[in-house]
Amino acid sequence: MKLYLALILLLPLLGGTFNALFGRSLPRRVVETIACGVIWGAFACSIVAFLQFTVPVRIEYASWLSDFDFKAPIALYLDQLSLALTLMITFVCGLIHLYSVGYMKDDPSPARYFALLNIFVFAMLVLILAENLPLLYLGWEGVGFCSYALIGFWYSDPKNATAGRKAFIVTRIGDTAFGIAMVWMFHLFGTESISELNTMGFLMPAGVITALGILLLIGAAGKSAQLPLSVWLPDAMAGPTPVSAQIHAATMVTAGVYLLARMFPLIGASPSVQAAIAITGGVTALYAATCACVQRDLKRILAYSTISQIGYMVLAVGAGALTASTFHLLTHAFFKALLFLGAGCVITALHHQQDIFRMGGLKGRLPAVYWPFLAGVLCLAGFPGSGGFFSKDAILGAVLEHGGPLYTGLFALGLVTALLTSFYTFRMLFVVFHGEASTPLSPRAVTEHEQSMSGDPVVERSRTEPLPAVMTLTLIPLAILGLLGGLINLPAYLGNHGLLSGYLGSIGGFSPAAHASAVTEIALQIMAATASIIGLGLAWSRYTGDRRAVSLATESGEAPFHIRFLQSGWMLDDLYRLLIIRPFFWLARFFWKGVDEAAIDGTLDGLARLTARLGGLPAGLSTGKVATSLIAIAGGVAVVLVYVAWMVMS
Amino acid sequence: MTDLPLLSVLIFLPLAGCLLLLPVWNCRVSARPIALGVALIELALAAWLYASWRGLSTIPAQLPGYLLQEDAAWIPAFGIRYTLGLDGISLLMVMLTAFTFCVALTVSWNSITEKTGLFLTLMLVMESGIMGVFLALDLALFYLFWEVMLIPMFFLIGVWGHGRRIYSTIKFFLFTMFGSLLMLLAIVALHLTHAQQTGVATFGLHELLGTQIAPETQLWLFGAFFLAFAIKFPLFPLHTWLPDAHTDAPTAGSVILAGLLLKTGSYGLIRFGYPLFPQAAQTLTPLLYALAVIGIIYASLVAFAQEDMKRLIAYSSIGHMGFVAIGIAAWQPVALSGSIIQMANHGVTTGALFCLVGMLDERAHTRDIRAFGGLWGKIPRYSFFFLFFSLASLGLPGLNNFVGEFLVLVGTMKKAPLVAALAFVGIVLTLVYTVRLVQEVLFQEERQPLPLADLSLREFSLLVVLALLDLWMGVHPAPLLDMIHLPVQLLTGTP
Repeated sequence: MKLYLALILLLPLLGGTFNALFGRSLPRRVVETIACGVIWGAFACSIVAFLQFTVPVRIEYASWLSDFDFKAPIALYLDQLSLALTLMITFVCGLIHLYSVGYMKDDPSPARYFALLNIFVFAMLVLILAENLPLLYLGWEGVGFCSYALIGFWYSDPKNATAGRKAFIVTRIGDTAFGIAMVWMFHLFGTESISELNTMGFLMPAGVITALGILLLIGAAGKSAQLPLSVWLPDAMAGPTPVSAQIHAATMVTAGVYLLARMFPLIGASPSVQAAIAITGGVTALYAATCACVQRDLKRILAYSTISQIGYMVLAVGAGALTASTFHLLTHAFFKALLFLGAGCVITALHHQQDIFRMGGLKGRLPAVYWPFLAGVLCLAGFPGSGGFFSKDAILGAVLEHGGPLYTGLFALGLVTALLTSFYTFRMLFVVFHGEASTPLSPRAVTEHEQSMSGDPVVERSRTEPLPAVMTLTLIPLAILGLLGGLINLPAYLGNHGLLSGYLGSIGGFSPAAHASAVTEIALQIMAATASIIGLGLAWSRYTGDRRAVSLATESGEAPFHIRFLQSGWMLDDLYRLLIIRPFFWLARFFWKGVDEAAIDGTLDGLARLTARLGGLPAGLSTGKVATSLIAIAGGVAVVLVYVAWMVMS
Repeated sequence: MTDLPLLSVLIFLPLAGCLLLLPVWNCRVSARPIALGVALIELALAAWLYASWRGLSTIPAQLPGYLLQEDAAWIPAFGIRYTLGLDGISLLMVMLTAFTFCVALTVSWNSITEKTGLFLTLMLVMESGIMGVFLALDLALFYLFWEVMLIPMFFLIGVWGHGRRIYSTIKFFLFTMFGSLLMLLAIVALHLTHAQQTGVATFGLHELLGTQIAPETQLWLFGAFFLAFAIKFPLFPLHTWLPDAHTDAPTAGSVILAGLLLKTGSYGLIRFGYPLFPQAAQTLTPLLYALAVIGIIYASLVAFAQEDMKRLIAYSSIGHMGFVAIGIAAWQPVALSGSIIQMANHGVTTGALFCLVGMLDERAHTRDIRAFGGLWGKIPRYSFFFLFFSLASLGLPGLNNFVGEFLVLVGTMKKAPLVAALAFVGIVLTLVYTVRLVQEVLFQEERQPLPLADLSLREFSLLVVLALLDLWMGVHPAPLLDMIHLPVQLLTGTP
């Protein structure tokens, strides 16, 4: 076990390092083979670890930070939760690596791309498997860096580089709260070990636990793009599409959820923390869903849907339903990766076109993309029977069961969100794949609407481009997993016990909640299904058939204010620009010019000039050099001070 | 080998090396290898000491915690002795010194074309001085070395600098001289007080430690030490000499300034300031906290506004040294060892960044951020290292700066939670200005019309060594932490 666990981490690390150092001078095929090979190797090792797994283990490999009473070794902790996530991550990332081979086949720097992608997987796995918080933080910051570098992968366009920078900074604002919590926990409990911390909550008063919980929530909100730190994720779509799939949908953004779930035995003891987590998740889910309804960039729709779906997971954690949260995390990883990869196919086929109003009628032209994409859409919309339906329903059920006016309200919010989700998901499907192919565009229009891609010249052709087989083939396993994902945790009335609930049940905090009766459960599912179908119906009536042309014309025209408000993500960016960024620039400039140069240096220079002039009076005899005089003056000052000090002492 | 007065060798070998330079004074080609050779011997000595410090620690020393000691009468009339001592902390600083001088000599291999003999001599004299500062245990001796190390730097900036170099030199000189004169005063006063009390005239640190001083006097004396060290640190608002000195110094000067001279301030506070005047230090701790936190936030903001890369890194140094100051103020074992490790980390990382900016300056003859952009496509190797050291500087875990800053914060949390929390805010600000620098220099479209050559073999090897060091200290800092464990324990009085 020790060896396999180490290999899971080392393979991606070595692959990434190797490609980073030597990849530049190697043939493209070698770089790709190494990059994909190490991830699938890590997946194989996770399978072995899964088969050999009996009880949770803590394995220490080496010391890292160790100083007096402070210990943070390189130690891993494997339990059912981290194992399940490791399997998911290595598998999904493995597929995305394969997909990237096709997607990036013409990119001039494959070595940098694959090195970063590998190192990202390494960092993510460290985050998941870390036994103590500082090591988790290493992974946490590592994924932050990789995401930064990959969002800005096509760096020559300032827009991409700025999006990467924004992601790095905004997530790090959250990391700071996490960092404070981490350091504070050591002060309070004398340990950084996650499993030890989780058993020590009772030692501290509720107020302290609440404060810790809020700090961790802020950290999680940064990484998982929850309000108010959600602004980086829509911009993060500037990166290559497989990166969006891997980092900004399937894995990294779930890190916050994982952190909250992992630390739940400690922080969940405080009802205020639970409520704060639940409100953050519920409100974010609704917020992002409203934004997704009006976006016209295919990837931005998916980005907002990601924020919204993670909102559900956070909401579940807030309701104490860790299993439901993990369940949705897993199914979401499959179907969201699927949707992003599908979107990548569409975008490639249309020569980097991302505006959905310039698509349409792709169903016939890209059947290999359409059908898997449809599977993803069904899951995201929570269509009855799909994996997404069961996992979302588990969350809604848990929220309702938690009881109290707050949670009932959040349940209603969740239901509304489900309806919106279904609407925007099917809107995307219908607009992109159904209807007539949009009229051929003039080359000029394409360049105007071309979305932040590599900047290589876009050759406008009205027909689509054949896709590499590897890109469409990777969609199939994800589609299957997404659709059938529900099987791993069926509700009680269908299967006896949820597989996942049983598997995770022994972990602290995961103990299965009291099951609702079958009747309640079924009633709930009917509600959720209704919401999903209403959303489908709305989208159907609006974007297919006769109404389609009218709706498209309205939406691609000049948008009224409320639409622009939603499109810009409730104008959070503008708000932050006004409240934070502008004052920051101003303050930086003021400190430099106003304080450093004018106040401090100005005073000193004035003092020096004055001294020099005074010194110049009797110095007619001396060299007259300013420096000499100044030294003399300094000496004189010293003499005075000697005298003063002497007086004080005696 | 232990029979040799190793510490004296460490100090005086570079001085002796100057003599070797005399015959080849005007021959740049043969002078450079000689100077570098001397620096490398120093490095080998330091490395040998590092490799064998565990063995040395078993030899019973006169003073607890010390590995090597040398003591001889020097000026008996005033009780001044030639006392040197090496403990884990000074060993780390000695290693840093020996290494930094090799870096500085290598990086300026081609860039110093005038008066090379004088330049190399000054460098070696400075190395002697700095070694002495880190080894002296007699306050008079310490003061002597303190001055010896400053004067060459004065010439370095004044002769080989650029821009407003005379202004910067004078500013640097006045600031530091002002501080050191006050310190000299305090040293003499301390000496006299001790003589009054015990009738023994001494400047020895360990004799003076026991001096009973009235609280008010202690405040004055500590204040003088504090001021001298705070200028060196530099702490807000005594920092304005640093950006000017850095900007106008030659690359080697910047590397030594950032890598070593700033460290003498923090080292002085740890070795002399706090132990000699514990109560006064206690009283002034809130002040140190406040100045450090203000410095971190203020300097990071100012760094963000800079257009000159060297100035930006200079301001970043003020921020990073703020963490060192916080760790010292906390005077708590984890925080203090974090501070000490951070001194070495900052020396290596910032030294590397100054090297990188110097290399760019040599190629494009400008350090203006706005003149670059898109370097990643143009000079990929250079850009890789630029990104690497920037990441280290912004405290990415796994690289060295994280270790120091994190330990400082862990320890400070126990003493002053609010300070630790505010310092965390500083970490975000560090990220903000660093990614701005990286983005505008490495990414975006190319703005530099000149064709730039990628790293030469000399530059490449230098940066590889620095990068490996960053990585080693970030992933496996345990050996270094072990080395300073005992001295820190003794200093903080931890059982």
